[in-house]
Amino acid sequence: MSAAIDCRAVGKIYGNGRRTFEAVRAITFSVRGGEFVTLLGPSGCGKSTLLMLVGGLEEITVGTIELGGRPVVGPRSETGMIFQDPMLLPWKSAFDNVLFPIDMMRRPRARYTERAHELLAAMGLRDAAAKKPPQLSGGMRQRVAICRALVSDPEVMLMDEPFSALDAITRDELNVLMLDLFERYRKTALFVTHSIREAVLLSDRVLVMGGRPATLIDDVRIPFSRPRDFALTEAADFNAMCGHLREKITTARKLGHADAIG
Amino acid sequence: MPTPLADAAINVGSVAAVSENAASSQPQPRRRRRWRAAGHLATIALPIALSLFVLVAWEFIVRVAKVPPAILPPPSAIFEQLTTHYALLLKHAVPTTLETLLAFGFSIPLGVFIAAVMTWSPVINKAVYPNVIFFQLIPKIALAPLFIVWLGIGLPSRTTFSIFISFFPILVATAAGLQSVPRDMLRLCRSVGASDWQVLVHVRFPTALPFLFSGMKVAVTLSIIGIVVGEFIASQRGLGYLILFASSRLQTDLSLACIAVLCAVGLGLYGLVVLSERVAMRWYGDR
Repeated sequence: MSAAIDCRAVGKIYGNGRRTFEAVRAITFSVRGGEFVTLLGPSGCGKSTLLMLVGGLEEITVGTIELGGRPVVGPRSETGMIFQDPMLLPWKSAFDNVLFPIDMMRRPRARYTERAHELLAAMGLRDAAAKKPPQLSGGMRQRVAICRALVSDPEVMLMDEPFSALDAITRDELNVLMLDLFERYRKTALFVTHSIREAVLLSDRVLVMGGRPATLIDDVRIPFSRPRDFALTEAADFNAMCGHLREKITTARKLGHADAIG
Repeated sequence: MPTPLADAAINVGSVAAVSENAASSQPQPRRRRRWRAAGHLATIALPIALSLFVLVAWEFIVRVAKVPPAILPPPSAIFEQLTTHYALLLKHAVPTTLETLLAFGFSIPLGVFIAAVMTWSPVINKAVYPNVIFFQLIPKIALAPLFIVWLGIGLPSRTTFSIFISFFPILVATAAGLQSVPRDMLRLCRSVGASDWQVLVHVRFPTALPFLFSGMKVAVTLSIIGIVVGEFIASQRGLGYLILFASSRLQTDLSLACIAVLCAVGLGLYGLVVLSERVAMRWYGDR
Protein backbone atom coordinates (compact mmCIF):
# COMPACT_ATOMS: atom_id res chain seq x y z
CA MET A 1 0.00 0.00 0.00
CA SER A 2 1.31 3.43 -0.91
CA ALA A 3 1.66 6.23 1.61
CA ALA A 4 -1.30 8.54 2.24
CA ILE A 5 0.90 11.61 1.75
CA ASP A 6 4.18 11.43 -0.12
CA CYS A 7 6.37 14.51 -0.62
CA ARG A 8 9.47 14.15 -2.75
CA ALA A 9 12.11 16.90 -2.97
CA VAL A 10 9.43 19.57 -2.69
CA GLY A 11 10.40 23.22 -3.03
CA LYS A 12 8.40 26.43 -3.27
CA ILE A 13 9.67 29.69 -4.69
CA TYR A 14 7.40 32.73 -4.69
CA GLY A 15 7.60 35.41 -7.34
CA ASN A 16 9.61 35.33 -10.54
CA GLY A 17 12.42 37.23 -12.19
CA ARG A 18 14.82 38.97 -9.85
CA ARG A 19 12.56 39.31 -6.82
CA THR A 20 12.02 35.79 -5.60
CA PHE A 21 11.55 34.25 -2.19
CA GLU A 22 12.33 30.61 -1.55
CA ALA A 23 9.98 29.46 1.21
CA VAL A 24 10.77 25.74 1.44
CA ARG A 25 13.50 23.60 -0.11
CA ALA A 26 14.06 19.90 -0.70
CA ILE A 27 11.34 18.58 1.58
CA THR A 28 10.98 14.82 1.51
CA PHE A 29 8.73 12.86 3.82
CA SER A 30 5.78 10.53 3.74
CA VAL A 31 2.83 9.92 6.02
CA ARG A 32 1.21 6.52 6.38
CA GLY A 33 -2.57 6.13 6.34
CA GLY A 34 -4.01 6.85 9.79
CA GLU A 35 -0.83 8.49 11.01
CA PHE A 36 -0.84 11.83 12.86
CA VAL A 37 2.17 13.87 11.76
CA THR A 38 3.02 17.37 12.96
CA LEU A 39 5.11 20.01 11.21
CA LEU A 40 6.80 21.88 14.04
CA GLY A 41 8.84 25.04 13.78
CA PRO A 42 9.00 28.72 14.62
CA SER A 43 6.48 31.15 13.10
CA GLY A 44 7.04 32.06 9.48
CA CYS A 45 9.30 29.08 8.79
CA GLY A 46 7.27 27.74 5.88
CA LYS A 47 5.22 25.08 7.68
CA SER A 48 1.96 26.56 6.49
CA THR A 49 3.32 26.92 2.97
CA LEU A 50 4.12 23.23 2.93
CA LEU A 51 0.62 22.42 4.21
CA MET A 52 -0.93 24.54 1.45
CA LEU A 53 1.19 22.69 -1.11
CA VAL A 54 -0.12 19.36 0.18
CA GLY A 55 -3.67 20.73 0.06
CA GLY A 56 -3.20 21.76 -3.57
CA LEU A 57 -3.86 25.40 -2.67
CA GLU A 58 -0.46 26.65 -3.79
CA GLU A 59 1.47 25.61 -6.84
CA ILE A 60 4.49 23.38 -6.27
CA THR A 61 7.67 24.86 -7.80
CA VAL A 62 9.86 21.74 -7.73
CA GLY A 63 9.32 18.14 -6.69
CA THR A 64 6.11 16.15 -6.41
CA ILE A 65 3.47 15.55 -3.79
CA GLU A 66 1.18 12.55 -3.95
CA LEU A 67 -2.04 12.03 -2.04
CA GLY A 68 -3.20 8.42 -2.03
CA GLY A 69 -0.80 7.63 -4.85
CA ARG A 70 -2.04 10.39 -7.19
CA PRO A 71 -0.03 13.60 -7.74
CA VAL A 72 -1.50 16.79 -6.30
CA VAL A 73 -2.29 19.35 -8.99
CA GLY A 74 -5.10 21.23 -7.27
CA PRO A 75 -7.50 21.03 -4.32
CA ARG A 76 -8.89 17.54 -3.77
CA SER A 77 -12.12 16.48 -2.17
CA GLU A 78 -10.41 13.88 0.04
CA THR A 79 -8.76 16.58 2.15
CA GLY A 80 -10.43 18.41 5.03
CA MET A 81 -8.92 21.74 6.06
CA ILE A 82 -8.86 23.57 9.37
CA PHE A 83 -7.33 27.03 9.68
CA GLN A 84 -6.13 29.18 12.55
CA ASP A 85 -9.37 31.18 12.44
CA PRO A 86 -12.54 29.10 12.24
CA MET A 87 -13.67 30.88 9.04
CA LEU A 88 -17.33 30.30 9.75
CA LEU A 89 -20.00 32.19 7.83
CA PRO A 90 -21.66 34.39 10.48
CA TRP A 91 -25.07 34.35 8.81
CA LYS A 92 -25.33 30.56 8.83
CA SER A 93 -26.15 28.41 11.85
CA ALA A 94 -23.46 26.08 13.23
CA PHE A 95 -25.29 23.19 11.56
CA ASP A 96 -25.40 24.92 8.17
CA ASN A 97 -21.75 25.86 8.51
CA VAL A 98 -20.89 22.20 9.05
CA LEU A 99 -22.75 21.31 5.85
CA PHE A 100 -21.09 24.12 3.86
CA PRO A 101 -18.65 21.75 2.06
CA ILE A 102 -21.54 19.46 1.13
CA ASP A 103 -23.47 22.39 -0.35
CA MET A 104 -20.40 23.53 -2.30
CA MET A 105 -19.77 20.01 -3.60
CA ARG A 106 -23.43 19.96 -4.72
CA ARG A 107 -23.99 16.70 -2.90
CA PRO A 108 -27.43 15.88 -1.48
CA ARG A 109 -27.70 17.37 2.01
CA ALA A 110 -30.01 14.63 3.22
CA ARG A 111 -27.23 12.06 3.07
CA TYR A 112 -25.08 14.10 5.43
CA THR A 113 -27.48 15.60 7.97
CA GLU A 114 -27.20 12.62 10.27
CA ARG A 115 -23.41 12.74 10.15
CA ALA A 116 -23.43 16.49 10.79
CA HIS A 117 -25.56 16.00 13.89
CA GLU A 118 -23.37 13.13 15.06
CA LEU A 119 -20.20 15.22 14.64
CA LEU A 120 -21.69 18.19 16.47
CA ALA A 121 -22.72 15.89 19.31
CA ALA A 122 -19.25 14.33 19.43
CA MET A 123 -17.80 17.82 19.80
CA GLY A 124 -20.22 18.70 22.60
CA LEU A 125 -22.19 21.07 20.40
CA ARG A 126 -25.57 19.30 20.36
CA ASP A 127 -27.34 22.35 21.79
CA ALA A 128 -25.44 24.83 19.66
CA ALA A 129 -26.46 23.42 16.26
CA ALA A 130 -29.03 26.13 15.58
CA LYS A 131 -26.92 28.99 16.93
CA LYS A 132 -24.99 31.38 14.73
CA PRO A 133 -21.23 31.91 15.13
CA PRO A 134 -21.47 35.32 16.84
CA GLN A 135 -23.34 33.56 19.68
CA LEU A 136 -20.59 30.97 20.16
CA SER A 137 -17.31 31.21 22.06
CA GLY A 138 -13.96 31.02 20.26
CA GLY A 139 -13.43 27.40 21.25
CA MET A 140 -16.94 26.42 20.13
CA ARG A 141 -16.41 28.10 16.77
CA GLN A 142 -13.21 26.17 16.19
CA ARG A 143 -15.03 22.94 17.12
CA VAL A 144 -17.67 23.76 14.49
CA ALA A 145 -14.82 24.22 12.00
CA ILE A 146 -13.49 20.77 12.92
CA CYS A 147 -16.94 19.24 12.31
CA ARG A 148 -17.04 21.02 8.96
CA ALA A 149 -13.68 19.54 7.98
CA LEU A 150 -14.89 16.04 8.89
CA VAL A 151 -18.39 16.17 7.42
CA SER A 152 -17.54 14.85 3.97
CA ASP A 153 -15.45 12.07 5.58
CA PRO A 154 -12.14 13.09 3.97
CA GLU A 155 -9.18 10.73 4.24
CA VAL A 156 -6.63 13.41 5.05
CA MET A 157 -6.96 16.24 7.57
CA LEU A 158 -4.79 19.30 7.00
CA MET A 159 -4.64 21.59 10.02
CA ASP A 160 -2.90 24.98 9.97
CA GLU A 161 -2.26 26.01 13.58
CA PRO A 162 -5.90 25.37 14.44
CA PHE A 163 -5.60 26.16 18.14
CA SER A 164 -3.04 28.96 18.24
CA ALA A 165 -5.63 31.75 18.36
CA LEU A 166 -7.30 30.26 21.44
CA ASP A 167 -6.55 30.92 25.12
CA ALA A 168 -4.38 28.34 26.89
CA ILE A 169 -7.22 26.64 28.78
CA THR A 170 -9.45 26.28 25.72
CA ARG A 171 -6.46 25.09 23.78
CA ASP A 172 -5.78 22.25 26.25
CA GLU A 173 -9.47 21.35 26.07
CA LEU A 174 -9.41 21.13 22.31
CA ASN A 175 -6.18 19.13 22.35
CA VAL A 176 -7.93 16.47 24.44
CA LEU A 177 -10.92 16.60 22.11
CA MET A 178 -8.58 16.16 19.16
CA LEU A 179 -7.12 13.02 20.78
CA ASP A 180 -10.63 11.59 21.24
CA LEU A 181 -11.61 12.46 17.70
CA PHE A 182 -8.49 10.80 16.36
CA GLU A 183 -9.38 7.62 18.23
CA ARG A 184 -12.92 7.72 16.95
CA TYR A 185 -12.44 8.68 13.28
CA ARG A 186 -8.76 7.83 12.71
CA LYS A 187 -7.76 10.04 9.78
CA THR A 188 -4.40 10.66 8.24
CA ALA A 189 -3.48 14.01 9.75
CA LEU A 190 -0.94 16.66 8.88
CA PHE A 191 -0.89 19.24 11.65
CA VAL A 192 1.01 22.52 11.79
CA THR A 193 1.92 24.11 15.11
CA HIS A 194 4.63 26.08 16.85
CA SER A 195 3.72 24.57 20.23
CA ILE A 196 6.13 21.79 21.18
CA ARG A 197 3.84 20.34 23.86
CA GLU A 198 0.88 20.25 21.49
CA ALA A 199 3.00 18.51 18.88
CA VAL A 200 4.20 15.83 21.32
CA LEU A 201 0.76 15.27 22.84
CA LEU A 202 -1.05 14.79 19.54
CA SER A 203 1.42 13.24 17.11
CA ASP A 204 2.82 9.89 16.11
CA ARG A 205 5.68 11.72 14.44
CA VAL A 206 7.01 15.25 14.59
CA LEU A 207 8.82 16.79 11.62
CA VAL A 208 10.98 19.67 12.82
CA MET A 209 11.33 22.47 10.29
CA GLY A 210 13.61 25.49 10.27
CA GLY A 211 16.11 27.59 8.40
CA ARG A 212 15.74 29.94 5.48
CA PRO A 213 14.58 28.51 3.13
CA ALA A 214 12.94 25.99 5.42
CA THR A 215 14.08 22.41 5.31
CA LEU A 216 13.26 19.34 7.35
CA ILE A 217 15.70 19.22 10.25
CA ASP A 218 14.53 16.12 11.99
CA ASP A 219 11.93 13.40 11.94
CA VAL A 220 11.11 12.35 15.51
CA ARG A 221 8.89 9.40 16.39
CA ILE A 222 6.69 10.01 19.46
CA PRO A 223 6.55 6.62 21.18
CA PHE A 224 3.65 7.14 23.62
CA SER A 225 0.87 4.60 23.22
CA ARG A 226 -2.68 5.50 22.30
CA PRO A 227 -5.29 6.24 23.53
CA ARG A 228 -3.62 9.17 25.23
CA ASP A 229 -5.05 11.68 27.63
CA PHE A 230 -3.98 14.96 29.13
CA ALA A 231 -2.30 13.26 32.09
CA LEU A 232 0.47 12.36 29.65
CA THR A 233 1.68 15.96 29.76
CA GLU A 234 2.68 15.46 33.42
CA ALA A 235 4.86 12.45 32.66
CA ALA A 236 8.65 12.76 32.89
CA ASP A 237 9.35 11.14 29.50
CA PHE A 238 6.80 13.48 27.89
CA ASN A 239 8.72 16.48 29.17
CA ALA A 240 12.01 14.88 28.20
CA MET A 241 10.65 14.51 24.66
CA CYS A 242 9.60 18.18 24.65
CA GLY A 243 13.07 19.15 25.84
CA HIS A 244 14.67 17.09 23.10
CA LEU A 245 12.56 18.81 20.42
CA ARG A 246 13.21 22.24 21.89
CA GLU A 247 16.93 21.60 21.63
CA LYS A 248 16.57 20.58 17.96
CA ILE A 249 14.71 23.79 17.18
CA THR A 250 17.19 25.98 19.05
CA THR A 251 20.16 24.44 17.26
CA ALA A 252 18.42 24.83 13.94
CA ARG A 253 17.74 28.47 14.72
CA LYS A 254 21.36 29.14 15.53
CA LEU A 255 22.43 27.47 12.31
CA GLY A 256 19.82 29.41 10.36
CA HIS A 257 21.08 32.62 11.94
CA ALA A 258 24.66 31.79 11.03
CA ASP A 259 23.45 31.13 7.48
CA ALA A 260 21.82 34.53 7.33
CA ILE A 261 24.97 36.29 8.45
CA GLY A 262 27.26 34.26 6.22
CA MET B 1 -7.60 51.28 -1.77
CA PRO B 2 -11.17 52.47 -0.95
CA THR B 3 -11.83 56.17 -1.44
CA PRO B 4 -12.28 58.46 1.55
CA LEU B 5 -15.99 58.66 0.81
CA ALA B 6 -16.54 54.92 1.00
CA ASP B 7 -14.18 54.72 3.94
CA ALA B 8 -16.25 57.20 5.84
CA ALA B 9 -19.43 55.39 4.91
CA ILE B 10 -18.02 52.07 6.02
CA ASN B 11 -16.67 53.50 9.25
CA VAL B 12 -20.02 55.03 10.10
CA GLY B 13 -21.68 51.70 9.43
CA SER B 14 -19.31 49.66 11.56
CA VAL B 15 -19.31 52.12 14.44
CA ALA B 16 -23.09 51.99 14.47
CA ALA B 17 -23.00 48.20 14.41
CA VAL B 18 -20.53 48.06 17.27
CA SER B 19 -22.48 50.42 19.48
CA GLU B 20 -25.69 48.55 18.73
CA ASN B 21 -23.97 45.35 19.69
CA ALA B 22 -22.73 46.79 22.94
CA ALA B 23 -26.16 48.12 23.77
CA SER B 24 -28.04 44.87 23.25
CA SER B 25 -25.69 42.14 24.34
CA GLN B 26 -25.07 42.90 28.02
CA PRO B 27 -27.83 42.45 30.54
CA GLN B 28 -27.65 45.40 32.92
CA PRO B 29 -28.57 45.65 36.59
CA ARG B 30 -31.68 47.73 37.17
CA ARG B 31 -30.00 50.91 38.29
CA ARG B 32 -27.66 50.90 35.34
CA ARG B 33 -30.61 50.27 33.08
CA ARG B 34 -32.42 53.29 34.44
CA TRP B 35 -29.37 55.41 33.70
CA ARG B 36 -29.29 53.94 30.26
CA ALA B 37 -32.96 54.79 29.70
CA ALA B 38 -32.19 58.37 30.70
CA GLY B 39 -29.31 58.30 28.27
CA HIS B 40 -31.61 57.11 25.48
CA LEU B 41 -34.06 59.89 26.27
CA ALA B 42 -31.23 62.40 26.09
CA THR B 43 -30.07 61.14 22.69
CA ILE B 44 -33.57 61.82 21.35
CA ALA B 45 -34.48 64.88 23.40
CA LEU B 46 -31.24 66.85 23.10
CA PRO B 47 -31.14 67.19 19.29
CA ILE B 48 -34.85 68.04 19.21
CA ALA B 49 -34.38 70.65 21.95
CA LEU B 50 -31.46 72.18 20.06
CA SER B 51 -33.35 72.43 16.77
CA LEU B 52 -36.39 73.93 18.56
CA PHE B 53 -34.10 76.46 20.18
CA VAL B 54 -32.61 77.41 16.81
CA LEU B 55 -36.09 77.81 15.30
CA VAL B 56 -37.25 80.02 18.17
CA ALA B 57 -34.08 82.12 17.98
CA TRP B 58 -34.53 82.42 14.21
CA GLU B 59 -38.15 83.57 14.60
CA PHE B 60 -37.15 86.05 17.30
CA ILE B 61 -34.18 87.57 15.48
CA VAL B 62 -36.05 87.92 12.17
CA ARG B 63 -38.94 89.72 13.89
CA VAL B 64 -36.84 91.98 16.10
CA ALA B 65 -34.37 92.92 13.34
CA LYS B 66 -37.24 93.29 10.83
CA VAL B 67 -35.48 91.21 8.17
CA PRO B 68 -37.43 91.46 4.88
CA PRO B 69 -39.32 88.16 4.25
CA ALA B 70 -37.80 87.92 0.75
CA ILE B 71 -34.36 87.65 2.36
CA LEU B 72 -35.22 85.39 5.28
CA PRO B 73 -38.80 84.65 6.33
CA PRO B 74 -39.45 83.48 9.90
CA PRO B 75 -40.14 79.77 10.51
CA SER B 76 -43.80 80.57 11.18
CA ALA B 77 -44.18 81.91 7.63
CA ILE B 78 -42.59 78.75 6.22
CA PHE B 79 -44.94 76.65 8.31
CA GLU B 80 -47.86 78.69 6.99
CA GLN B 81 -46.73 77.97 3.41
CA LEU B 82 -46.57 74.28 4.27
CA THR B 83 -50.17 74.27 5.50
CA THR B 84 -51.75 76.52 2.87
CA HIS B 85 -49.90 75.14 -0.16
CA TYR B 86 -49.69 71.52 0.91
CA ALA B 87 -51.54 70.35 -2.21
CA LEU B 88 -49.10 72.17 -4.48
CA LEU B 89 -46.11 70.91 -2.51
CA LEU B 90 -47.41 67.36 -2.58
CA LYS B 91 -48.02 67.57 -6.33
CA HIS B 92 -44.38 68.47 -6.87
CA ALA B 93 -43.00 66.15 -4.18
CA VAL B 94 -44.46 63.05 -5.84
CA PRO B 95 -42.41 63.15 -9.08
CA THR B 96 -39.25 64.09 -7.17
CA THR B 97 -39.69 61.15 -4.82
CA LEU B 98 -40.57 58.66 -7.53
CA GLU B 99 -37.69 59.72 -9.77
CA THR B 100 -35.30 59.51 -6.82
CA LEU B 101 -36.51 55.99 -6.07
CA LEU B 102 -36.16 55.06 -9.73
CA ALA B 103 -32.60 56.37 -9.91
CA PHE B 104 -31.65 54.81 -6.57
CA GLY B 105 -33.24 51.54 -7.63
CA PHE B 106 -31.08 51.45 -10.76
CA SER B 107 -27.88 52.57 -9.06
CA ILE B 108 -27.90 49.59 -6.65
CA PRO B 109 -27.77 46.78 -9.25
CA LEU B 110 -25.45 48.85 -11.45
CA GLY B 111 -22.94 49.45 -8.63
CA VAL B 112 -23.16 45.86 -7.38
CA PHE B 113 -22.77 44.45 -10.88
CA ILE B 114 -19.63 46.45 -11.68
CA ALA B 115 -18.19 45.61 -8.24
CA ALA B 116 -18.85 41.91 -8.88
CA VAL B 117 -17.18 42.04 -12.30
CA MET B 118 -14.18 43.84 -10.79
CA THR B 119 -13.91 41.19 -8.08
CA TRP B 120 -14.31 38.36 -10.55
CA SER B 121 -11.52 39.54 -12.86
CA PRO B 122 -8.29 40.96 -11.44
CA VAL B 123 -7.45 42.33 -14.90
CA ILE B 124 -10.70 44.28 -15.13
CA ASN B 125 -10.19 45.39 -11.53
CA LYS B 126 -6.77 46.80 -12.38
CA ALA B 127 -8.11 48.52 -15.47
CA VAL B 128 -11.25 49.93 -13.88
CA TYR B 129 -10.27 50.90 -10.34
CA PRO B 130 -7.95 53.85 -11.07
CA ASN B 131 -10.58 55.17 -13.45
CA VAL B 132 -13.22 54.86 -10.77
CA ILE B 133 -11.05 56.95 -8.46
CA PHE B 134 -10.50 59.47 -11.26
CA PHE B 135 -14.25 59.66 -11.88
CA GLN B 136 -14.80 60.34 -8.20
CA LEU B 137 -12.65 63.45 -8.55
CA ILE B 138 -14.79 64.97 -11.31
CA PRO B 139 -17.21 67.53 -9.88
CA LYS B 140 -20.07 65.55 -11.35
CA ILE B 141 -22.66 68.28 -10.88
CA ALA B 142 -20.77 70.23 -13.54
CA LEU B 143 -21.72 67.50 -16.01
CA ALA B 144 -25.47 67.87 -15.42
CA PRO B 145 -26.08 70.25 -18.38
CA LEU B 146 -24.38 67.74 -20.68
CA PHE B 147 -26.93 65.10 -19.75
CA ILE B 148 -29.62 67.50 -20.99
CA VAL B 149 -27.69 67.80 -24.25
CA TRP B 150 -27.35 64.05 -24.56
CA LEU B 151 -30.74 62.84 -23.33
CA GLY B 152 -33.10 65.78 -23.68
CA ILE B 153 -35.07 67.58 -20.98
CA GLY B 154 -37.26 64.72 -19.81
CA LEU B 155 -37.17 62.10 -17.13
CA PRO B 156 -34.40 60.04 -18.77
CA SER B 157 -31.77 62.76 -18.43
CA ARG B 158 -32.66 63.52 -14.80
CA THR B 159 -32.68 59.90 -13.68
CA THR B 160 -29.55 59.03 -15.67
CA PHE B 161 -27.70 61.93 -14.12
CA SER B 162 -28.90 60.89 -10.68
CA ILE B 163 -27.79 57.28 -11.26
CA PHE B 164 -24.49 58.61 -12.53
CA ILE B 165 -23.71 60.37 -9.28
CA SER B 166 -25.26 57.85 -6.88
CA PHE B 167 -23.87 54.51 -8.06
CA PHE B 168 -20.27 55.33 -7.14
CA PRO B 169 -20.56 54.91 -3.39
CA ILE B 170 -22.41 51.63 -3.95
CA LEU B 171 -19.75 50.40 -6.35
CA VAL B 172 -16.86 51.34 -4.09
CA ALA B 173 -18.43 50.01 -0.89
CA THR B 174 -19.57 46.75 -2.50
CA ALA B 175 -16.18 46.16 -4.14
CA ALA B 176 -14.50 46.68 -0.76
CA GLY B 177 -16.97 44.24 0.79
CA LEU B 178 -16.62 41.57 -1.88
CA GLN B 179 -12.86 41.75 -1.55
CA SER B 180 -12.87 41.67 2.26
CA VAL B 181 -13.29 37.88 2.39
CA PRO B 182 -10.21 36.52 4.24
CA ARG B 183 -7.64 34.54 2.30
CA ASP B 184 -8.16 31.40 4.38
CA MET B 185 -11.91 31.52 3.72
CA LEU B 186 -11.17 31.56 -0.01
CA ARG B 187 -8.75 28.67 0.48
CA LEU B 188 -11.41 26.74 2.33
CA CYS B 189 -13.84 27.33 -0.53
CA ARG B 190 -11.29 26.13 -3.07
CA SER B 191 -10.45 23.07 -0.99
CA VAL B 192 -14.09 21.97 -1.04
CA GLY B 193 -14.24 22.54 -4.79
CA ALA B 194 -16.40 25.68 -4.81
CA SER B 195 -16.55 27.46 -8.18
CA ASP B 196 -15.92 31.22 -8.51
CA TRP B 197 -19.66 31.67 -8.97
CA GLN B 198 -20.45 29.70 -5.80
CA VAL B 199 -17.92 31.74 -3.84
CA LEU B 200 -19.47 34.95 -5.17
CA VAL B 201 -23.04 33.94 -4.34
CA HIS B 202 -22.55 32.03 -1.10
CA VAL B 203 -19.61 33.81 0.49
CA ARG B 204 -18.68 37.13 -1.10
CA PHE B 205 -22.15 38.65 -1.51
CA PRO B 206 -23.33 37.94 2.03
CA THR B 207 -19.99 39.21 3.38
CA ALA B 208 -20.39 42.40 1.35
CA LEU B 209 -23.94 43.04 2.55
CA PRO B 210 -23.08 45.36 5.47
CA PHE B 211 -20.74 47.28 3.15
CA LEU B 212 -23.50 47.56 0.55
CA PHE B 213 -25.83 49.14 3.09
CA SER B 214 -23.17 51.69 4.05
CA GLY B 215 -22.87 52.55 0.37
CA MET B 216 -26.65 52.76 -0.02
CA LYS B 217 -26.93 55.28 2.82
CA VAL B 218 -24.58 57.62 0.97
CA ALA B 219 -26.16 56.84 -2.41
CA VAL B 220 -29.74 57.57 -1.43
CA THR B 221 -28.94 61.18 -0.50
CA LEU B 222 -26.93 61.58 -3.70
CA SER B 223 -29.90 60.30 -5.74
CA ILE B 224 -32.06 63.10 -4.34
CA ILE B 225 -29.37 65.66 -5.11
CA GLY B 226 -29.14 64.31 -8.66
CA ILE B 227 -32.87 64.57 -9.28
CA VAL B 228 -33.17 68.06 -7.76
CA VAL B 229 -30.23 69.33 -9.81
CA GLY B 230 -31.89 67.84 -12.89
CA GLU B 231 -35.10 69.64 -12.01
CA PHE B 232 -33.19 72.90 -11.57
CA ILE B 233 -31.83 72.69 -15.07
CA ALA B 234 -34.80 71.54 -17.08
CA SER B 235 -38.15 70.56 -15.69
CA GLN B 236 -41.72 71.75 -15.39
CA ARG B 237 -42.41 69.87 -12.19
CA GLY B 238 -40.77 68.56 -9.07
CA LEU B 239 -39.57 70.28 -5.92
CA GLY B 240 -36.38 71.47 -7.62
CA TYR B 241 -38.47 73.25 -10.23
CA LEU B 242 -40.75 74.73 -7.55
CA ILE B 243 -37.78 76.02 -5.54
CA LEU B 244 -36.41 77.78 -8.62
CA PHE B 245 -39.85 79.13 -9.56
CA ALA B 246 -40.53 80.46 -6.05
CA SER B 247 -37.08 82.01 -5.74
CA SER B 248 -37.45 83.82 -9.05
CA ARG B 249 -40.59 85.47 -7.63
CA LEU B 250 -38.87 86.20 -4.32
CA GLN B 251 -41.27 83.83 -2.55
CA THR B 252 -38.51 82.75 -0.21
CA ASP B 253 -40.99 81.28 2.28
CA LEU B 254 -42.30 78.89 -0.40
CA SER B 255 -38.73 77.97 -1.43
CA LEU B 256 -37.91 77.09 2.15
CA ALA B 257 -41.15 75.15 2.50
CA CYS B 258 -40.04 73.10 -0.54
CA ILE B 259 -36.72 72.46 1.15
CA ALA B 260 -38.52 71.34 4.30
CA VAL B 261 -40.53 68.85 2.22
CA LEU B 262 -37.31 67.74 0.49
CA CYS B 263 -35.79 67.09 3.91
CA ALA B 264 -38.81 64.99 4.87
CA VAL B 265 -38.53 62.99 1.64
CA GLY B 266 -34.82 62.46 2.18
CA LEU B 267 -35.35 61.41 5.78
CA GLY B 268 -38.06 58.97 4.68
CA LEU B 269 -35.88 57.35 2.01
CA TYR B 270 -32.91 57.18 4.36
CA GLY B 271 -35.18 55.58 6.95
CA LEU B 272 -36.22 53.01 4.35
CA VAL B 273 -32.58 52.04 3.82
CA VAL B 274 -31.93 51.83 7.57
CA LEU B 275 -35.04 49.70 8.01
CA SER B 276 -34.05 47.24 5.30
CA GLU B 277 -30.57 47.15 6.79
CA ARG B 278 -32.03 46.18 10.18
CA VAL B 279 -34.01 43.37 8.57
CA ALA B 280 -30.99 42.12 6.63
CA MET B 281 -28.69 42.31 9.65
CA ARG B 282 -31.11 40.30 11.76
CA TRP B 283 -30.76 37.51 9.21
CA TYR B 284 -27.03 38.11 8.96
CA GLY B 285 -25.78 37.62 12.49
CA ASP B 286 -28.82 37.19 14.71
CA ARG B 287 -27.21 39.67 17.07
